[in-house]
Amino acid sequence: MKLSELHVGDRAEVTSVGTEPLVRRRLMDLGLIRGTDLKVLRVAPLGDPMEIVYKGLYLTLRRSEADGIGVKLLDAEVLPPVKEGRQRHRTRFGRAS
Amino acid sequence: MTGRSEVTVALTGNPNAGKSSLFNALTGAHQRVGNFPGVTIEKHEGYVDFQGRRITVVDLPGTYSLTPFSPEEIVTRRYIIDEKPDVVVNVVEGANLERNLLLTVQLMEMEVELLVALNMIDEVEEKGISIDVKQLQKLLGSHIVPTSARQKRGIELLLDHILRVADGRIEIVKNKLTFSPEVEQAVEKITGLLSHERGLEGANHRWLAIKLLENDREAYQLVQRHPVWVKVELALQAAITECERLHRTDPEVLITEDRHAFIRGAMQECVSQPHAEKATVTDYIDTVVLNRVLGLPIFLTVVWGIFQMTFSLGAPLTQGLEYLFGLAGHALEPLLPDPLLKSILVDGVLAGVGGVVVFLPNIVLLFIGLSFLEASGYMARAAFVIDKVMHRFGLHGKSFIPMVTGFGCSIPAIMATRTLKSRSDRLATIMAIPFMSCGAKLPLYVLLAGAFFPPATAANVMFGIYLLGIAVGLWTAWMLKSTVLKSDSEPFVMELPPYRWPTLASVVFQARMKAVMYLKKAGTLILMAVILVWAASNFPHSREIDARLALEKAHIEASGEAPERRSAELAEVSARAQSSQLEYSVAGRCGKILEPIIRPLGFDWRIGIALVTGLAAKEVVVSTLGTIVSIGHTGQAVTDLSSILRSDPGFSQATALSLMVFVLLYIPCVASIGVMKKEVGSWQPVFVYTGYVLLVAWVASFVTYRLALLML
Repeated sequence: MKLSELHVGDRAEVTSVGTEPLVRRRLMDLGLIRGTDLKVLRVAPLGDPMEIVYKGLYLTLRRSEADGIGVKLLDAEVLPPVKEGRQRHRTRFGRAS
Repeated sequence: MTGRSEVTVALTGNPNAGKSSLFNALTGAHQRVGNFPGVTIEKHEGYVDFQGRRITVVDLPGTYSLTPFSPEEIVTRRYIIDEKPDVVVNVVEGANLERNLLLTVQLMEMEVELLVALNMIDEVEEKGISIDVKQLQKLLGSHIVPTSARQKRGIELLLDHILRVADGRIEIVKNKLTFSPEVEQAVEKITGLLSHERGLEGANHRWLAIKLLENDREAYQLVQRHPVWVKVELALQAAITECERLHRTDPEVLITEDRHAFIRGAMQECVSQPHAEKATVTDYIDTVVLNRVLGLPIFLTVVWGIFQMTFSLGAPLTQGLEYLFGLAGHALEPLLPDPLLKSILVDGVLAGVGGVVVFLPNIVLLFIGLSFLEASGYMARAAFVIDKVMHRFGLHGKSFIPMVTGFGCSIPAIMATRTLKSRSDRLATIMAIPFMSCGAKLPLYVLLAGAFFPPATAANVMFGIYLLGIAVGLWTAWMLKSTVLKSDSEPFVMELPPYRWPTLASVVFQARMKAVMYLKKAGTLILMAVILVWAASNFPHSREIDARLALEKAHIEASGEAPERRSAELAEVSARAQSSQLEYSVAGRCGKILEPIIRPLGFDWRIGIALVTGLAAKEVVVSTLGTIVSIGHTGQAVTDLSSILRSDPGFSQATALSLMVFVLLYIPCVASIGVMKKEVGSWQPVFVYTGYVLLVAWVASFVTYRLALLML
């Protein structure tokens, strides 16, 4: 599954970072490596860059760049958040359905 | 051990780690404090005298890493390698230690005399994070000094440590990080190969080996020049094959993952964070500010608000200053017996420079607004919100910040494009910036809109002018990106920094610096231009016109009419004579030469002169108009240029609009052309661009003028 296919509120684990070398380098420098747990926080008002959060870092990236990041879905937002009970409820505008 | 009397320290750290604030706290010298990643591009130096010794502090640009990915990273790396500072201080943000440590680890690999400043320690305490500094010191091999630039904590202790490290009184333990077996083996093998190469004596072989495995361009270029490369290349290839076989990835990924694993280990051992981490203030603000529905309206409101503040709040202040200059003119006039001296001081200097200085409040307010946005962290959000639009024009969300800065002044804006990594993104942004109406053009809009439109409409006219500039700028960028600059664009991978209250001191400092810059410009460049323009508009002096004036005056005196009527007629003939003198002067002749070209835009030769002189600086357009137009209008207050213009037959609403459009779009000032050349690298594109800009300005003004004639 690709990062770009996730919905707002989804949590996932990074399985591969396979974008073009420049982007990969930058993402890895920012700590986005295999095994990182991330959460999709929101999508920009116009629907393009998306914001993810991991390890206290709020990162924005375009969908075209998120296409190159492979992820494994941990919890979809529909399920009651397991460990994230402390997190506030997120808006669900990013959902496709 | 006694050390040298001078010590050089380099400050490194992630963007937003508070490096610039720490620099200010250390040196006392203020400089730009921003919250947008990569705000310090230039190298900033300062010094502090401590314990009788001078410590020179160099503030290196903020970076996340030391790969030669961006100009900032290259600058930082080269400085450390080439300049060999005595001590490298790595500023880390205490509350975000994990990701800040990546740079620390890379600095450790470089085996520099490293000192870690655990900055924003106040935030760490507030959040209830506890850090075992002693243990972390052991793991990193470097001393750690907790600091808070904001609260001025730990500054002396840091300075003390710097001296102790420089003198060798603190030993820095190096090579604390070992990689996973395959990588480590390869690193050692290549290190061994490199150490036998004579040409690489003095280089840090282990570091070079790591960089080669990381596929680092600069390291390749360095080693490829030496005969050892043949062996190194084989070893590299072997390592790549091995990593691929065992881990299904390349050494670059493995090295990065190993660094992160080391950091994670250190975090687990030394840092305990309160488990129930509450949503932060930044989270709450962002749910509103970046909301899918509210995000864009908020963005537009913020930008609009800044401009409203600039104009509405600035207007009464501007009027106050105008009044003062008027008083000064009236007070000065009777004191000066010599008519030529009076003319140069009152019509030239006072009218010219005064006409510029009165807009100081607007400029200051605009910069207060911009530096507040930047320092608070909203600028990065703005890039996020607006990226899709910018991307559509082939630009990057980050192009937005330099472009907004362009509303203040093109020069810092063009320089700020250095945050863009791709050359084509940079060029397109640089070429779009001059269309973002700069602060120097503002006086003309305020003057013309104020003179020819009622206050409520005037604000709309100005807003329209700004919008037009943005539209033309974006169109230019899009055109460039879809034709000559059609290469790949920079990825949009950007951190959103937490919101921070900008310190009042830094905002005030920013505004003060801009005010001083503006006044200096008024005092030097503009004063010079004003005197030049005054001279050009007063010489050569025609004796013939003087003689005719004297004749006409004598005729009126002798006519025997009522005294009031006589003085009115006298005023009229002398005004006409002055106007003829202006036409006769150098400036008048230049304007006349231009007139056929600009006539279709509704401009007469006087406006032609103003436009030519405006090349020096855009504020000069107003001062020249002030000088030239007031010469033809004797007996009126020098500063009240708006009413002079209103009564002038050469000006109408249509001319005003056309002139505003032309000044908005035509050639940027000489200084910004210079900066542009520097950033672009050669003159040719700049000349082509200048031609393009002139053409666009002419066409746009022509259309504006004709439409205005039809509609108004």
